[in-house]
Amino acid sequence: MEAVVLEQVSKRFDSVVAVDNLSLRVAQGAVFGLLGPNGAGKTTSLRMILHILAPDEGTIQVLGQPASGRTQDLIGYLPEERGLYARMKVREVLVFLAGLKGLSEAEASKRVRQWLERLELAAWAEKKIIDLSKGMQQKAQFIAAVIHRPPLLILDEPFTGLDPLNATLIKDIMLELRAQGSTIILSTHRMEQVEMMCDAICLINHGRSVLAGDLRAIKQSYGKNTLRIEYSGDGDFLDLPHLVEKLNHFGALVEVKLRPGADPQEIVKAAVARGVRLSRFELVEPPLHDIFIEKVSEGHA
Amino acid sequence: MRKIWLVIKREYLTRVRTRGFILSTVGLPLFSVGIFAVTLALATRKTDHTLKISILDNLGGLAPEIVAGLQENLPDGQPLYQVVRTWDRPESAKKVQEELNEQVRQGRLDGFLEVPKDILEGKAATFHSQSLEDFQTHRAISRAVDNAVIARRLGDRGVYVDNLSDVVRGVEVSLVRVTKTGESEEKGEGFLVRLSIVMILYITLLVYGVMTMRSVLEEKSTRIIEILASSVKPSHLLSGKILGVAAVGLTQYLIWALTAALVSGYGAAVGSVFRPGASAPSFHLPASFLVYPLIFFLAGYFLYASLYAALGAMVSSEEELQQVQLPVTMLLVVCVILSPIIMRDPNSPLAVTLTMIPLFSPILMVFRITVQTPPFWQIALSLALCVLTTAGVVQLSAKIYRVGILMYGKRPSLVELLRWLRYT
Repeated sequence: MEAVVLEQVSKRFDSVVAVDNLSLRVAQGAVFGLLGPNGAGKTTSLRMILHILAPDEGTIQVLGQPASGRTQDLIGYLPEERGLYARMKVREVLVFLAGLKGLSEAEASKRVRQWLERLELAAWAEKKIIDLSKGMQQKAQFIAAVIHRPPLLILDEPFTGLDPLNATLIKDIMLELRAQGSTIILSTHRMEQVEMMCDAICLINHGRSVLAGDLRAIKQSYGKNTLRIEYSGDGDFLDLPHLVEKLNHFGALVEVKLRPGADPQEIVKAAVARGVRLSRFELVEPPLHDIFIEKVSEGHA
Repeated sequence: MRKIWLVIKREYLTRVRTRGFILSTVGLPLFSVGIFAVTLALATRKTDHTLKISILDNLGGLAPEIVAGLQENLPDGQPLYQVVRTWDRPESAKKVQEELNEQVRQGRLDGFLEVPKDILEGKAATFHSQSLEDFQTHRAISRAVDNAVIARRLGDRGVYVDNLSDVVRGVEVSLVRVTKTGESEEKGEGFLVRLSIVMILYITLLVYGVMTMRSVLEEKSTRIIEILASSVKPSHLLSGKILGVAAVGLTQYLIWALTAALVSGYGAAVGSVFRPGASAPSFHLPASFLVYPLIFFLAGYFLYASLYAALGAMVSSEEELQQVQLPVTMLLVVCVILSPIIMRDPNSPLAVTLTMIPLFSPILMVFRITVQTPPFWQIALSLALCVLTTAGVVQLSAKIYRVGILMYGKRPSLVELLRWLRYT
């Protein structure tokens, strides 16, 4: 059984088509990346999975049931736009939100205590939300998303605004939930996070799916056509238009996209001829970042 | 259902615990009770010692009558007034007056009463004392002079009366109204009660409507609405919110009603001070005074609360709120402004029409009922229109709310609003 199935789903707001005949499948237990440029229809799609919006056409299944008020309780949601009742106490807000997800007050109180402990917020339990720092508010909101142990967790940009320590804390919890069988839908613009965490992705643009499937398979389909090079000396040796399709400078590192059929050996030769010292020379699959840009700009062409 | 209950509970508890609520709920009655208590204490403050007074009688022969009228006693049985000396037409009234003045100044005398020569023709008597604010003393003396003068005038016409105070005691006129159904029925305590009912309805609909509106906007502007909408149906969220705020209002009124009961106890006491002998004002309100207003009020409350909630969902900021709420608030203000029309002639075609308009009837029909009970069919029609409209408005508001809570940015135009109503 799939965790989420969208079949030919469309959603329009007046003349704007937010989601256009979108189909996607999220396997149970996977970490699924929902990607796309701003305004591509990601939030609308998530809201339809969450049954906040109803699709104009198509069907949505969540954990084997049509999306409904009942499936809402099976989902934990961390929206991109964060916010809690500013003037309520941290503990009260969380107990209230847990109650809305179907937990009894006693159970909610118990779990809130455990989670606040775990996310190092215990000392802030009786403080008002407004007195918390932004990072702490975000952790509190993360608790609201996971407190009812949802089999499906939807996280929209879960790491923005968190320091590396807290980001690691959240990431570990995500992996732990996954190990316990939860499915995670991750919506983010940070491609390196997707590459590190996701098993499968769906890239949408203009409300349509432009790339979907297993992340490894997608990358393999592009083949190893990218060089990662670190060197010292004159960078002009890469001025080889017949071999190099695109250069991407990162300062210390250069990513070189090769033309089809180009032999990487030729580049080594050019470097040696120019007296450039190579400290790294690696042939890899293209980064998701490049695939994203390529796919999205195709849509604009 | 459990979720609606949770929403109601949160809405209620977070509001009831705020400083503003406690201040307005507990503060207001405490304040009015305090004012009452102070007035009461001041007005009923009894001197704890016998007051020594003298009487300068320039008419002659009136002083004994006045002294006879000053027979009040202190709680310990001592007389309240001790008349030290009376002067009957002294040769030099001016000299006596100066001497008495001096005694008062030195504190040997609490005060003296000067009766002018032509008091029977209506000239005022004067009471000279160091403290003039003692209402009780003044009142008793003035009554004694009053009675003495009346007795003298009657005597001059050959009428002699024992127990004069029984004869001159005033009679109250109570208003009894004849209604269409033939029975006569007493209607409250007049205009003030009716007007305060209109004001209470107006303020309640406005205050709690605006509270609902702000509550909607708060969830929107803090963005928690996204989480709420992923857990609760918007219609449940909306009804929980409206009911929660209603419960807050109910709590406030309950506390006030209890205090009012206390205060009216005090009020009766104060009243008896100002009008000795008169019975304490009684508030015998007929059932129609309470039942119809309650039904109209409930319909009106849901009508306006859902309208305000829709407004809250339409905007994204506090500033916009000020602009959009104006038309709805004006509807309520117009009700208050129009109420004199109904007061003047509750059965005029204009009054009848106004009380049929659903947005006005929660206030104006209630007002009209208190002025003069309209024919039953008019009440029924007005109520039916109001309830039906409320049901419709609640539906439309819920639709606007459902769409609006997820929309940020520009306030929707009327055309856009109409489109919102069609969204699924």
